Amino acid sequence: MGLIVLASVFFLALLIGIPVAVTLGVASLCYLLVMDIPIVVMPQKMYAGLDVFVLLSIPGFILAGNLMNQGGITERIIRFANALVGWIRGGLALTNVGASMLFGGITGTAVADAASIGGVMIPGMKKSGYPADFSAAVTAASSTVGPIIPPSVPMIIVGALSGISVGKMFLAGAVPGVLMGFAMMITTYIIARRRGFPKQPWLGASEIAKSFSGAFWALAMTVIIIYGLLSGLATPTETAVIASIYAFVVGAFVYRELPIKQVPRILVDSAISSAGILALVGFANVFGWILVSERIPQMIADAVLSITDNKFAVILMINILLLIIGMFMETIAALIILFVPLLTLAQAVGIDPLHFATFAVLNLMIGLTTPPLGVCLFVCANIAKQPLMPVVKAILPFLFTNIAVLLLVSYVPAIATWLPSVLMP
Amino acid sequence: MHKLETVVVAISRICVGIAFTVLIVAVLIQVFGRSFSVSPIWTEELTRFALLYLCAFGIGLAWRSGDLVNVDIFCESLPGPWPRRLRFVSALCTSLLCAVLLMPAWKFVSIGAFQTSPAMSVQMTYVHLSVFVLIASLLVFSLLRVVSMLLGKDDGLALNRKADL
Repeated sequence: MGLIVLASVFFLALLIGIPVAVTLGVASLCYLLVMDIPIVVMPQKMYAGLDVFVLLSIPGFILAGNLMNQGGITERIIRFANALVGWIRGGLALTNVGASMLFGGITGTAVADAASIGGVMIPGMKKSGYPADFSAAVTAASSTVGPIIPPSVPMIIVGALSGISVGKMFLAGAVPGVLMGFAMMITTYIIARRRGFPKQPWLGASEIAKSFSGAFWALAMTVIIIYGLLSGLATPTETAVIASIYAFVVGAFVYRELPIKQVPRILVDSAISSAGILALVGFANVFGWILVSERIPQMIADAVLSITDNKFAVILMINILLLIIGMFMETIAALIILFVPLLTLAQAVGIDPLHFATFAVLNLMIGLTTPPLGVCLFVCANIAKQPLMPVVKAILPFLFTNIAVLLLVSYVPAIATWLPSVLMP
Repeated sequence: MHKLETVVVAISRICVGIAFTVLIVAVLIQVFGRSFSVSPIWTEELTRFALLYLCAFGIGLAWRSGDLVNVDIFCESLPGPWPRRLRFVSALCTSLLCAVLLMPAWKFVSIGAFQTSPAMSVQMTYVHLSVFVLIASLLVFSLLRVVSMLLGKDDGLALNRKADL
């Protein structure tokens, strides 16, 4: 009875547009009332969910990304990416993907990436004769590498849920993220050749050097973050705060484009974005506790294992389930609710938790570009002033590319686990 | 009504800013302390408490700006007055949830009186209070929207959504 109430209230609340965090709270509350469990459990579990050490790094990474964003890095990174790949056919589209990959090393969320790169690249591509729907599609698709290449907010959440070290999670995403970026570049190149998109003149090695020196301070942040985590000199939280201070210094004193007066506003806005994510974690902890106490993870595992215990089939089933859920649900919410139940299943067939976590995050990132709930899709279609459907059509080749990379990462665990096993044994 | 909302927003933003600043300063003390000698043991605890209050004061603002994430594609595509009605129901449900949780949250606060934090020796009442503040903040902001919508002064859309349109 309790479970029926939990599920029906959850889906009804989602349907009428109640925020996901509140939906989780309302459904959990109804369950507790029906099951006659004291409601004081809710604040207790919310507190326990929020009082997790690794979550402390989320506001810092969000602040660092926002400070960099406002501090003039976007144009510099785009210029550097353009010097590297702009001379190839479809150069501006390739620049777009390249810039997303470089940007991914600074920000931890895809939406920030889509908005800042899209704001510059989409109008620029349209001006150079690229179709608006394609410009929006390539921006939206490539922005999904942001949360896969470290740092990554979803990876921190997975660390909090599973106890896997955040450093290992970040490293596990590095190779798949780069692979996904290169795969999208190949797709872009094929489309560009077929449709005769323009290329720009080769600007020479001097432009590469010049644009690199401009982007150097921004790109160095990725190195600081990785070094901080790998060397063991700093915890993820400390690394995030150091990255924020670094972003402030670079934006305000090196690039001199970050208005110091704006810093308090950026600080508070970053805190509000973080509070949104943390609230989700808090309410989801109550919901997750109910699922575990009702033995849902075990029931899912048993149900799937009664059909098959073949590892390859289970990986395929998990991926199909996550792709469908990712289409209809916000990424972090889906991750929080589904990660633990599916991890139980994955472990039952002998999948390494680090490997599982990597392909689960990668999978849910694809959901950011699929209708009806692809946030990056909306952001980019909005910037390109295009209706959604043409952009959806234009994104299909990239979607297939990303799914191909997902399958590769799912079936070749070393792509995810090799780097962490070498650098953080 | 508008004045009240402005005041509540300003207070919340100041408190969120203070919580985040405390978090950053505590982490920096931790890093510098360790670089030069041994970092004080209370910094880790203070950082955690600052995060709890950051979330507590920020949740209402996140609700207001749409940062709590709505899956509103279905309800916003409905015809006529339905999107507005459902936004009202959404605000009302949030208020009701918080109203029901307020007393249990206070009970949780009082449980804290029996414990003190290990490093800072702070009575846990003050730490558990963050959950009460979180629920109260969400209650205030959702009630403000309910009342504004009833008075016809708000369409119930989150701020981000308004910017999109």
